[in-house]
Amino acid sequence: MPLDTSTYSLALLRLDGRRWNELRRLTAQISTQAAADGSSYLEMGNTKVICTVTGPAEGKRTGGAGTGGGNEAEVRVEIGIAGFSGVDRKRRGRNDKRISEMQTTISNTFASSLFTHLYPHSTININIHILSQDGSLLAACLNASTLALIDAGIPMRNYICACTAGSTSSHSANDEAADPLLDLNNLEEQELPFLTVATVGESDEVAVLVLETRVQMGRLEGMLAVGVDGCKQVREILDGVVRRRGKRILESAAV
Amino acid sequence: MAPSSTQQVLLSPAELSYLHTSLSLDPPVRPDARTSSQFRPLIAETDILPGTNGSARICFADGTEAIVGIKAEVEKSRPSYQASADRNVAEDDDDEEDEETRRDEQLAKEKKGLNEWVEMSVEIPSFRDDDSMPVFMAAMLSEALLADGAFTNKLWINRRFHWKLYLDILLLSQPLSYPLPLLSLTTHLALLSTRLPRLKSEEDEDPLFDDDWAASVFLYPRTQSLIRPPVTLLVMSVGNNIIFDPTKEELAVAESVLAVSVGERPQEKSQGDMDVDSGKPARDLRLLAIRTIDPPSRLTPAGVPNTLNTATGGTAAGTTEQASSKRETMEEEGVWQPPRGGAKRKLIAAMIQAVLARGGVAEEVLDGLDAVELG
Repeated sequence: MPLDTSTYSLALLRLDGRRWNELRRLTAQISTQAAADGSSYLEMGNTKVICTVTGPAEGKRTGGAGTGGGNEAEVRVEIGIAGFSGVDRKRRGRNDKRISEMQTTISNTFASSLFTHLYPHSTININIHILSQDGSLLAACLNASTLALIDAGIPMRNYICACTAGSTSSHSANDEAADPLLDLNNLEEQELPFLTVATVGESDEVAVLVLETRVQMGRLEGMLAVGVDGCKQVREILDGVVRRRGKRILESAAV
Repeated sequence: MAPSSTQQVLLSPAELSYLHTSLSLDPPVRPDARTSSQFRPLIAETDILPGTNGSARICFADGTEAIVGIKAEVEKSRPSYQASADRNVAEDDDDEEDEETRRDEQLAKEKKGLNEWVEMSVEIPSFRDDDSMPVFMAAMLSEALLADGAFTNKLWINRRFHWKLYLDILLLSQPLSYPLPLLSLTTHLALLSTRLPRLKSEEDEDPLFDDDWAASVFLYPRTQSLIRPPVTLLVMSVGNNIIFDPTKEELAVAESVLAVSVGERPQEKSQGDMDVDSGKPARDLRLLAIRTIDPPSRLTPAGVPNTLNTATGGTAAGTTEQASSKRETMEEEGVWQPPRGGAKRKLIAAMIQAVLARGGVAEEVLDGLDAVELG
């Protein structure tokens, strides 16, 4: 069902009352689970994700020559979308196309940003559980994985920070004056064109760019600029989470 | 056949024998210095996901963690052939009975829920959905929940509609110890926190609900005597010792393992013998289901006694049959033998007794769960 976002131009406020360049509430915790090597819990608005990392460990020999036997560690990602996460209860199979695409995206991203050459013949398993979904699914998964990998102590080049950016009018409206939007929720994602962008730390280096909806070429640059800007805000928040955790460890060690 | 615990414990026969001996002492000495009926500490919270009807999360001290989310959907009831057949029979035989009472009886009969109104799924990382472990766990948990037949009646809306309850149980960590008690306790808390919107329509109309979530009703109503959903506990035995809440290492030497499901009976109003001295009424517990679980100890490697070891001057058996028959008859102290055969009936009775007795373990667990603040 299409959603009426035409009211945006009246007050320049979005459906949930945010302005164009505002992120939703982003909170995170790390080391949430004692049994895993690294774990994190991340909320982006109403999207809630738990991520656990095991490894680097010797990979399981599951028939055939896997790439885990090479000179670099293999990054494996498994995403589980809980049946209760959406509005309606829906079970997704393990080999859902969308899920496997997200898995590949995340695993490729971290394979290039982690120092995998330090761990030959081993696997790093990233397990992501999506408990509640309200847009920005891929971005939330990327951010949660970054935190869990940091918690696991796996060396990486920099934070991978992700967020989404969209545009205020749909492709068919072909509105030249459309504003870019930052961090879309589920309702906005259903109607508006949007992209997911992830950058490496505070640099402008783009690590992931996923655009699945149709959008005019002219609007893309604005969306991308807003997205990269949002990633920098996300980086500050993630950095704050990690530093707070580090401080707490130091305090408990001092006693 | 129950699937054994997932991860093989890497202990040598000598270590297993040591563990077995210390667990069969009186009182047993457990590796983590607990008493035989002591549980490990846990962290629990409920109502964590606003998008669900009820949810809960439990973390055990060993790091295993589970989340349960419950969603309810309104579903059209299938016209039941059973009910219509019953009605025909009823019309046939008792003509003289009062019309009014018969209608009441009919309604009470129709208010019965069906087991298919509850769907339970268990997800364990690195297991497929159709692997035996998740399927078996789901079967055991739903068996306990549906055993008394009263639970599905809560899901009845009217003759044409009912609630369909989806229980999704997620184990977030690797299954370090047998995760059944963890999943059961989390499901228990999630069910307690489950709320359904208040029904506004009457009789057999299309159901219309109050859209105020604050007015919603609990699936387990918060009355004076709250009847709690069932819990499933894991009990194991070593020798004559009965040990609760076993860890992975303890399960590796268990002689028999039982999963015991316990529920609470609704409190009767008539209090014939007045227990004045006891501050709060004792729980009226009943046994809902028992399953024996194939202990992982059966798959452990056996120790080789000196008499069968050529390195210590013994003579090795010629064939594998001879070796196994010799081992069968041998009862040597300090040589680990994987347990064979079933549990003694007396022992099983004692295990059940230890769970159900007044002041027993089930009561202790339910009292502990009382302390969890419910949303």
